[in-house]
Amino acid sequence: MYQYTEFDDRFVKQRAAQFRDQLERNLAGTLSEDDFRALRLQNGWYIQRHAPMLRIAVPYGELSTRQLRKLAHIARTYDRGYGHFTTRQNMQFNWIPLDRAADVMDELAEVQMHGIQTSGNCIRNITSDAFAGIAPDELIDPRPYCEILRQWSTLHPEFAFLPRKFKIAVSGAAEDRAAIAWHDIGLQLLRNEAGEVGFKVLAGGGMGRTPITGTVVREFLPWQQILVFIEAIVRVYNRYGRRDNMYKARIKILVKAEGERFIKAVEEEFLQILEHDVDGTAHLIPLEELDRVAQYFDVPAGVEFKAANDALGSAVTDAPPAYQRWLERNVHPHRFPGYRAVTLSLKRVGQAPGDVTDAQMEAAADIADRYSAGEIRVSHDQNLVLPWVRESDLYALWQAARSASFATPNIGLLTDMIACPGGDFCALANARSIPIAEAIAERYQDLDELYDIGDIDVHMSGCINSCGHHHTGHIGILGVDKDGSEWYQITLGGSDGTHQSGASVAGKVIGPSFAADEVPDVIEAVVETYRSQRAANERFIDTVKRIGLDPFKTATNAVRRTTGHKALAA
Amino acid sequence: MEFISAATDRWTLIPEDRPVTPAAHTLLSWAQWRHMREQWPAGLPVGVSFPNDADIEVLADDLARLELVVLHFPKWTDGRAYSQARLLRSRYRYRGEIRGTGDVVVDMTPLMARTGFDTAVLREGQSVEVAQRTLGFFPAYYQGDVRQHQPLFVRKDKVNA
Repeated sequence: MYQYTEFDDRFVKQRAAQFRDQLERNLAGTLSEDDFRALRLQNGWYIQRHAPMLRIAVPYGELSTRQLRKLAHIARTYDRGYGHFTTRQNMQFNWIPLDRAADVMDELAEVQMHGIQTSGNCIRNITSDAFAGIAPDELIDPRPYCEILRQWSTLHPEFAFLPRKFKIAVSGAAEDRAAIAWHDIGLQLLRNEAGEVGFKVLAGGGMGRTPITGTVVREFLPWQQILVFIEAIVRVYNRYGRRDNMYKARIKILVKAEGERFIKAVEEEFLQILEHDVDGTAHLIPLEELDRVAQYFDVPAGVEFKAANDALGSAVTDAPPAYQRWLERNVHPHRFPGYRAVTLSLKRVGQAPGDVTDAQMEAAADIADRYSAGEIRVSHDQNLVLPWVRESDLYALWQAARSASFATPNIGLLTDMIACPGGDFCALANARSIPIAEAIAERYQDLDELYDIGDIDVHMSGCINSCGHHHTGHIGILGVDKDGSEWYQITLGGSDGTHQSGASVAGKVIGPSFAADEVPDVIEAVVETYRSQRAANERFIDTVKRIGLDPFKTATNAVRRTTGHKALAA
Repeated sequence: MEFISAATDRWTLIPEDRPVTPAAHTLLSWAQWRHMREQWPAGLPVGVSFPNDADIEVLADDLARLELVVLHFPKWTDGRAYSQARLLRSRYRYRGEIRGTGDVVVDMTPLMARTGFDTAVLREGQSVEVAQRTLGFFPAYYQGDVRQHQPLFVRKDKVNA
């Protein structure tokens, strides 16, 4: 894991001091709510339905156990004993009183954490592959580049007030586990024919009310130039992005409107920086700097290469089927022999997807200290990942995970849903997500049934802002508001860009919205249509692509009750 | 950063609908300057107030003649003028005064200082004392800017010990 330098350490503390000054002026009445808003947002503080919501940055999803314990402490001391992990690998709290905000920032700074640029119209926390550095299909470890980008984007003076928020995701593996095409900038690390490392650069992807996948603006950019190239993209966006209409302000609208001209403008700006600006080449990354940062992402102390042993088999001959299922779904291949990555599932009945209590955070930290070199990752799917698990520890880890209720063997299955906090917490939401997620989780408790249904991405958002990434779900659920009540639009066939899901595409709506109490029946109708129509071993998403939406429309219209007349009218 | 008030401002803004007579320390709109640039006497100090939605590149050839460029923040959360200032300094080596006007609040001053502004007219009711204080929270930053061109990783032996 990256270790803070003294500079990094001081910087976070300086930021906390700056925020305290702003908060005190706000509480004293000399900084108006209007003016404070943009400042607090850039420190992660929203004003939400119940209290301020704090979004804490987890850069590219890496957490130390010390940091996780601090989050548990904050949950216990300042909040109501739980927190929420998001699709963008961050952590959110919902109940911290604003007058304690500066104290919380000081506490976070003690463990090198903060809320810098987790909100606001600036470059947000950079996300990546939760399996970075350990995935067998990895070409190049993205984390050193993520860290260099993190530093470059932090308090960038020119780009603090862009037309809208700006998100960057980086992947270095054959499989895209960071959904890069759905970001304002998506970066794919690769090697060219000469074996040199560089980036394929995408720009202009995003969800929201206009889902658009990113356009390739450069097929291969030498890694040394990435900061300069991104500066060119963001500067073009800052100057020409639309500011007259919030809904058209994201870079995706600019990229779509300008097409080739956008790419040309970026390439021109890039050359101008390098050829004409004072010290324009100063941000070319020297190899020494990459090496300096990369050393922090070396294999942690205590992890030793070993030939694969037979512990997976021998220790578990009499193990219960639940363990076998856990091995199948929650344990992942590793690039180092003798090691596995393990997902701690945050999806179980009784808790909202991504939610963890303070006790669970402590338990996860204890487990990670014991079995994963003190390191933990937050995944895009709102689970936790242990990156450094010895195969010989798997059975003991499973028992520990089970007693902390992290061992639901449902990773990649229907109940491993992505869901935003929705209307229960979020002031923006049009509808609630949590009760819907809960109803679906309740209905699909039978593991045999879940396993028979197989791999399926269910993503749910409480509003069009798409925090729950409903566009990319094989089944997407979107909360909408009609006449002051909650309705849910269902989409099918969305893809985040993984091999299994196919090329990145937004799902298609299957008809008029459904009432809240119809949604579990609708999901069941969709799933049963798949089960009756699938070819042997055909996954859900492939069946949808093969047979189209009509059979699903017919099946879901048949379960309409309160919305029946609307469906007929449509 | 220097904070300009009506009392300390030596520049005179000529209203858009008034005829312009060349005089020292006249501040012209971009349209007025385009109209007057050919006949403006050499050596007579002149400033231009430039719109934030126009391409700053068009000023490049005039910069040697301009003692002041005023850039605008129609709302303080509109960041376009930061890019304009940065280009004036970094790309066109402009050495005259860059002044920020409009909806300028105290918490913007670190960003303005780092992108090349040297003066600002604060929005009414903003405290100069607080504006000065906000400049002091960060002695150094990660990325380069117009004052410190080198990013931290280039100069890390000095500040990253």
